[in-house]
Amino acid sequence: MSSGRDWTAFDRPEVRAGFGSTGGSGCEVLLALDGIHCAGCAARAESLIASRADEIRVNVAAKTLSLRFKPEAVRLSAILEALDKAGLEPRILANEAPSTRSLRERRLTIGRIGVSTICAMQVMMMAWPGYFGVRPDPAIEQLLRWAQLVISIPGVLWAGWPLFSGAYRALRSRALDMNVTVGLALAVAFGASVVRTFAGHGDLYFDTATMFVWFLTIGRYLESRTRARAGERLRLLAGRRALTAQRRSGSGVEQVAIGELRPGDEVVVAPGEVLPADGMLTQPTVELDESLLTGEARPVLRSPGQRVLAGAVNLGTTALVFRADRLGGATVLAQITKLMEHAQDSKPKLQQLADRLAAHFIAAVLVFSVCGLAIALLRGASMDQAANIAIAVLVASCPCALSLAVPAVLAAATSRLAASGVLVANAGALQVLAGVDTVLLDKTGTLTSPEMRLGEVLAESGVDAEHCTRIAAALEQGSRHPIATAFAGKSGDLVASDIESVPGSGITGIVDGRRYWLGTTDPVAHRAGLPIIPHGKTGDTWIVLRDETRMLAAFSIGARIRPEAIALIADLERRGLAIEILSGDGADAVETLAGLLKIRNFAARQTPSEKLARLRQLQAQGRKVLAVGDGINDAPLLAAADVAAAMPRGAALTQGKADLLLLGDTLAGLPLALDASRLVTRRIGENMAWALCYNLVVLPLALTGHLSPWLAAAGMSASSLLVVGNALRGVTLKKEAGKPIVVPLPLTVT
Amino acid sequence: MASLYLLIPLGVGVVLAAIGIFLWAAQRGQFDGLEDLSSRMPDDES
Repeated sequence: MSSGRDWTAFDRPEVRAGFGSTGGSGCEVLLALDGIHCAGCAARAESLIASRADEIRVNVAAKTLSLRFKPEAVRLSAILEALDKAGLEPRILANEAPSTRSLRERRLTIGRIGVSTICAMQVMMMAWPGYFGVRPDPAIEQLLRWAQLVISIPGVLWAGWPLFSGAYRALRSRALDMNVTVGLALAVAFGASVVRTFAGHGDLYFDTATMFVWFLTIGRYLESRTRARAGERLRLLAGRRALTAQRRSGSGVEQVAIGELRPGDEVVVAPGEVLPADGMLTQPTVELDESLLTGEARPVLRSPGQRVLAGAVNLGTTALVFRADRLGGATVLAQITKLMEHAQDSKPKLQQLADRLAAHFIAAVLVFSVCGLAIALLRGASMDQAANIAIAVLVASCPCALSLAVPAVLAAATSRLAASGVLVANAGALQVLAGVDTVLLDKTGTLTSPEMRLGEVLAESGVDAEHCTRIAAALEQGSRHPIATAFAGKSGDLVASDIESVPGSGITGIVDGRRYWLGTTDPVAHRAGLPIIPHGKTGDTWIVLRDETRMLAAFSIGARIRPEAIALIADLERRGLAIEILSGDGADAVETLAGLLKIRNFAARQTPSEKLARLRQLQAQGRKVLAVGDGINDAPLLAAADVAAAMPRGAALTQGKADLLLLGDTLAGLPLALDASRLVTRRIGENMAWALCYNLVVLPLALTGHLSPWLAAAGMSASSLLVVGNALRGVTLKKEAGKPIVVPLPLTVT
Repeated sequence: MASLYLLIPLGVGVVLAAIGIFLWAAQRGQFDGLEDLSSRMPDDES
């Protein structure tokens, strides 16, 4: 069944630039075909478009079709329409065209694993007489030697080719990495065995070499899969980009490329579609899936006037309309993607250290094996025995815990955290975080939510308080001032016109033909000659509403404590961290908040430079400080802290200097990050300790000739697998079940 | 034991053939989707 959709927009080059990769031989596009269920459907899809495309590849398992076509000769819309009419439900996948290169590489990797498996098994079988000291007929023995050689050629040389070429690359750039010892060991073992095969006597290492290749190939495959998993979220983010948008224009709705949208355009998003830009929702109130952006799986309700973000999915049953204001690279989605890419590229200090250590270690191993060879020869051993020692040393040493463990653990932790809405912008911060002993918290926007809350309403005698609230709400409608959030949705059917903001004192407008002023007490009251309402002990901000003649009502506006803040503070205290609030707000407000959260240390009326001074003071005392802020007002503090976590809102994402970004506007991710940091440090420590013990035990054994090469190969491979396995076992984070937090105290503080 | 002179080369031939068949299958994309199948819901229509 056809969706009857209009596909023609996809013919335009500017739209196609968003998803196709155009090369010399045509344009490559990857489609998802949700309507494919069997090989029959796949064949049908192929035959439908065979005449139009140059190359078609259908993957039934992944339900994808990649095709190459000549854009100048064939219209993509015709292809899409044909598939759509056949009920195959085509969908263009953005930016995901799996380059033919990566596919070829994957197949090659699988091929190498398979070949090394087959070869290792067969060679071991042919070597078994040797294992048990059975001496068959010499001619048969020689025949078995040749057979092992023939089978080892694909098993070592072809399957192990990446190891050799890696070693060559490392040596050419004058570096030492794991490939060098491994490649050298393989070359020596294989070369010695070939020589002995031709000579017709001596022990063979074909079994050792093939098994070694097999273990390493499997180990690397597992490692690359962890990395791929970490990259998965990135691909998800990139794939969630909308390619076209429905723009509302004078005549109706037109389909345009994402790049053609301009700020201020009205965009229509059909149910189930992805929002193409950030903007302000116009209508209606709708549920959105923002899980990709925030990690929060539950749908969020957005009503007109609220911000909606690109990458969110319209979960409603009707189309929504919003006014786009941030496009392309300016969207939150694009910035998150950029941050994650950056985080994946960044090489944390510890890893650099590990790499350097590994290089020294490998150099030492090379020296050891040459020394072992020389000493054995000097002591009168045969060349055969001396070679055995050298090979055993090379094979047994395992630097992989150093070079492998750190990135594997960090990748696992980072991707785990990202899925729960904590973006690690700087992977190294995870390790520093484990050593943190002091937490500095900002108040507004961090411990309290940025939305304001309307508290008490005091009306003059003879004035209806509720009506005043409605008037105030009507005045504040459309205002961007934080105070406006306190009045959101309270205007009823009142509409204000001729609204003007009076800088420094408030806002004025006409409601029902009368002019009203709404503003902070002092200036408004002064000007009107009204008595000033004294500040209450609660420290709430008071604003007053007045008309031409008199004051009508006063509203107390307060901020709300984030519901998760109380649990967070308790959690931090359980971890034995010192907690301090540094706020720019007045003493009353901060004191009340600190009292509610049971925090003893707090400082009010702090300027950014005073906050910074306090941080420096703590650091001078040798404390490691985690600073948590909203990312804008606290920039200097965040930049100077040992680890900074920010709760960015909207566009401020990349402005701050934060190491951790708590998405989804909630503090709940912070304990998760602390857990992750602890786990990461522990895993890395375990791996390092294991590597140390293993090498200390095994190298002396190998040097003294007590370790035969095949045992060395098994030991080294098992050690690698242990390290990779420990890293993969890695990082399961427990998310606190959504227990309701019982708060006996009023949630309002100023 | 004389049969070994035939069987060992034959065995080597079988191994090489197995390698060839395996590589051919890998190139044809038989092992492309090893991971996602396990996470897919049973699909009645296929």
